[in-house]
Amino acid sequence: MTTPSPRPLSWFIAVLVTIGAIAVRGQAPPPPGFSPIDRTNEAQSKQDATLAPHATPPIATPVDRIPLDKISLPSGFKVELYSSGHPGGRTMVMGPKGTVFMGTRQLGRVYAVVNNGGTRAARVLLQGLTQPNGLAIRDGSLYVLAINRVLRYDDIENKLDNPGMPVDMTQAFNLPTEVHHNWKYAAFGPDGKLYVQVGANCNICEVNPGIHSQIRRYNLDGSGMEIVARGVRNTVGFDWHPVTGELWFTDNGRDWIGNEGPQDELNRVVRGQEGAFYGFPYCHAEGIPDPDIRRPQPCAGVVMPAALTGPHVAALGIRFYTGTMFPQSYRNVAFIARHGSWNREQKSGFDVVVARIDGGRARIEPFMTGLLDAKANEFHGRPSYVLPLEDGSLLVSDETNGAMYRITYSAGAGR
Amino acid sequence: MVLTATRTAVVTASILGLIPAAAFGQASPVTERIASCSTCHGEDGNSRLANVPSLAGQPEFFLLNQLVLMRDGVRMIPAMVPVVGDLTDADIQAIASHFAGREARASDEPIDANMATRGRELAKSLRCGSCHLANLQGRQQIPRLARQRIDYLIRALRDYRDGTRAGADTLMNNAVAGVSDADLGALAHYATAPQP
Repeated sequence: MTTPSPRPLSWFIAVLVTIGAIAVRGQAPPPPGFSPIDRTNEAQSKQDATLAPHATPPIATPVDRIPLDKISLPSGFKVELYSSGHPGGRTMVMGPKGTVFMGTRQLGRVYAVVNNGGTRAARVLLQGLTQPNGLAIRDGSLYVLAINRVLRYDDIENKLDNPGMPVDMTQAFNLPTEVHHNWKYAAFGPDGKLYVQVGANCNICEVNPGIHSQIRRYNLDGSGMEIVARGVRNTVGFDWHPVTGELWFTDNGRDWIGNEGPQDELNRVVRGQEGAFYGFPYCHAEGIPDPDIRRPQPCAGVVMPAALTGPHVAALGIRFYTGTMFPQSYRNVAFIARHGSWNREQKSGFDVVVARIDGGRARIEPFMTGLLDAKANEFHGRPSYVLPLEDGSLLVSDETNGAMYRITYSAGAGR
Repeated sequence: MVLTATRTAVVTASILGLIPAAAFGQASPVTERIASCSTCHGEDGNSRLANVPSLAGQPEFFLLNQLVLMRDGVRMIPAMVPVVGDLTDADIQAIASHFAGREARASDEPIDANMATRGRELAKSLRCGSCHLANLQGRQQIPRLARQRIDYLIRALRDYRDGTRAGADTLMNNAVAGVSDADLGALAHYATAPQP
């Protein structure tokens, strides 16, 4: 029998101190990734303390109750129902044959919406996954990211009836397993790498900056991970500017410090400044120090946003528009779906806005409105993601109604 | 495990309901299904079996949501698997509506008054009422805690704390992170006790 090697005295002291600290608090340490700091003083929030996240119906809205007639658009634009019957559908990617794949959160499904010359049929492609929000398409393969799992379904559009077993790349990507703010957004960059985010695993807390609050990029096989942006609370939408090739991303601000924000952000990763720090948890919006998590000079070295996108609006999907159907003034603008607020007494968002980019700044203006009834403080739908189609029209997913809308433009259409 | 779509339930844009009943074979009438729920969850939806939750008075949306998640295999509860697998959307809506309409009655478990008092303070600092509402009656996707069984609540809270269960929005995992077993017990006794 071998004698265990002696441990240094400092190790015993560390253990005793830890045990003591736990005993004094009368609590077990929180599980990895969760912070007990995440309990903002109720009095401080100055908000209705009973605000809570909105429910997502797990059953699709019947077609005759889909709020198409509520939607309004600028002159000349028209909206139609593209598809329905896919409850909770959020993210959208299109395969080379025109199938739209949709990811969900709590329902755990991936849908395939097949275009049969004018009519669309939706089916459940995969189910039983944990929050499969991250979808990407490359060379006919569908990449499905569900928290830490990374699954690749090859030749997917020829196997819609039976996708078979995926290539499981989970180990190679080695993403963290905590679920909170960790449902994925994923997209291929102009460099051919797969970009994914790892959100902060709390509303507000110190995070491990080596793991959380990042945008990362990987080679297709999960190797060569690089951190592209740090200090990002939770982005679930990004895209690359069609001219500069720079990465732009939306970011959701923290909750429970007031109705007016801190506002959500639209950010830009300047070429050559990959890995820059965007402020979480110390500094929000255009320089608001966090009241709970403090450090000296909270905003020093923080990249300021290109635009603020509104308090608690939950700016999710963003895509640049390069089509020719919409007027020339929409060339290279970004469309952003604002999912809509929950942590705000007067609801805001529930729309699609346009971001007009000028150098490093952007101007936000309304585009698709009407799903929020501000007077009644109620909403009829939640735009989640946008997808420009080859013909220049734009798809918008509505998670609440399990529907996709298609927006077209015709110069002579008038109002 | 990923469950691939062995059901090829195709739904056109104009048809409501995602999965037709026919895809699951012959379904029994919904009244029979409700009766079979009652075997464990109590005749009036108030459970008298250890670790089996009461369904009476739960928000209808909550019941609907959980049944869909169980049917789809997102929320895996071995005992429920054979019961929910063939439910149609319409069955689920009927079951949810039935149990939401029953009156929640107090559990027959003994309530420790001291624990309930301590739980009340804890609930305040953890802000349970923010989502579950001050009287813990729940709303929408958020369950009723008032008059739920103590043993079931303790188990659910432990599963959330230890990360073996994630709710629809993972907020619960965050809310009870690091809370001791004793404190979880106090919360359960408080929640079960009739609310003032």
